[in-house]
Amino acid sequence: MISERVLFIINVSLGLLSVLLVLMFLGLKLPTLGQAQYALDKEEPVCVIQWGEESTIHQDIDRCCLQARQQFECRAQSKDNLDWMCGTDERLQIWLNNKAYNYCKQQPYW
Amino acid sequence: MKRKRLKVQRKVFFVLVVLILLLSMLNIAKAKGLLIPKQGPVDVKHKVVDLQGMTLEQKIAQMVVVVGTKENYWPWRNMQLGGIHLFARQTEHIFNNTIIDFQFQAPIPFFVTADLEGCVSPFGFIRQFTPASEVDTIEEAFDKGVEEGQFLHKLGFNLNFAPVVDLKDDIWKCRSFPGEEKQISELAQAYLTGLQTQNVLGTAKHYPGKTLIVKDPHKYVVAAEIGKKDVFPYGYLVEKGEVKAIMVSHIITSGEIDSEGVPSVVSKKVLDNLRTNFNGLIVSDEIHMLGLKRFYRSVDEMYIAVFKAGNDVVLNFDNDPNEIYRMIQVVKAAVEGGEIPEAQIDASVTRILEAKGFTVR
Repeated sequence: MISERVLFIINVSLGLLSVLLVLMFLGLKLPTLGQAQYALDKEEPVCVIQWGEESTIHQDIDRCCLQARQQFECRAQSKDNLDWMCGTDERLQIWLNNKAYNYCKQQPYW
Repeated sequence: MKRKRLKVQRKVFFVLVVLILLLSMLNIAKAKGLLIPKQGPVDVKHKVVDLQGMTLEQKIAQMVVVVGTKENYWPWRNMQLGGIHLFARQTEHIFNNTIIDFQFQAPIPFFVTADLEGCVSPFGFIRQFTPASEVDTIEEAFDKGVEEGQFLHKLGFNLNFAPVVDLKDDIWKCRSFPGEEKQISELAQAYLTGLQTQNVLGTAKHYPGKTLIVKDPHKYVVAAEIGKKDVFPYGYLVEKGEVKAIMVSHIITSGEIDSEGVPSVVSKKVLDNLRTNFNGLIVSDEIHMLGLKRFYRSVDEMYIAVFKAGNDVVLNFDNDPNEIYRMIQVVKAAVEGGEIPEAQIDASVTRILEAKGFTVR
């Protein structure tokens, strides 16, 4: 049998949850874990395009994210301070560091 | 007294649980776009569309291409959007089924679009295609167009965002055709001819050029000086009459094409200039790029600017159906407020419907 005090605490929590749900319904957006990871990471975002043996830094991270998302699947893989490899083709690969990957994950199309 | 308080607490508990369940369901329905109102029917008879019978919302929706995901199947269909763009999938079967589902009984079929350029391709799991950089002759370019067109058509695609006619590709090294402007134009022309024999429309990109060059890492808004050579392929392809769509980039340009300090895609001057000799589709590059976003105080301003500039097809790959619906409402309000002429929207929708094979009256 739940005591009155415990039930009161549960009700207050449920009340707060209802308010949160109402706010969310009205359009409140809660920050995601990805945003926190991105904000805490002080590295510069890096995107490297590898075509065959040639590697080029892609300065436009936004475009890099979009191409990575539409063409490929990304998986955790390490190489030269880069942490993610996106690619389905052995010849063309997109490499991202964690900062860039977390940035990509925040994009509305990811 | 204590028992009475406990009884009240229990009642409150049950009311709150029911309330939370209801609110959760409403939130889920909202997130899935199920609360977005369904558009009315469109008057389509024997491939003839009555434009005046379409609401302003339906017309604006026709101008929007979104990402075609299973999760957003109902909202995209209910909004009667113009097109879906497909990202990589594991098998041909999945691509095919997704497209069939979306097109099933759609009064106006979706544009089904892809970025199949050769080395850049969402079909890497299924098949490899020749990179544009390895195509040297007109015959090879034509064959590449036919091969990619056959493949796309078989899966149900009808619009490809290729070929790239940027003169130089310093980043990917494989997306541009080799050679100088004349050779690139001829190869692109042959590719388009091959692609379009398979009933898949091609898109020359990224107008007005210089999008695949290494950029200053500290600039989010990128600028480039455009020369006569950069725009040569567009003039060539338009003159030949083969190019059905041109994609405009977010680069701020000066020189031969002057975007007057704003990204090309929102420059009325750039788009009007392009429109002078070209009556095909002007397609915006995807709009969630910092180069464009940072230019505006709000996304609403950006939405209005993209439509106002004269893009016929606007790529918005936001996964949130409510945001796409909101964009349509924002643009609708701008048209109703006189900021965007309705005649311009009508002209864009006419071009879109004609590209889809309809007659517009």
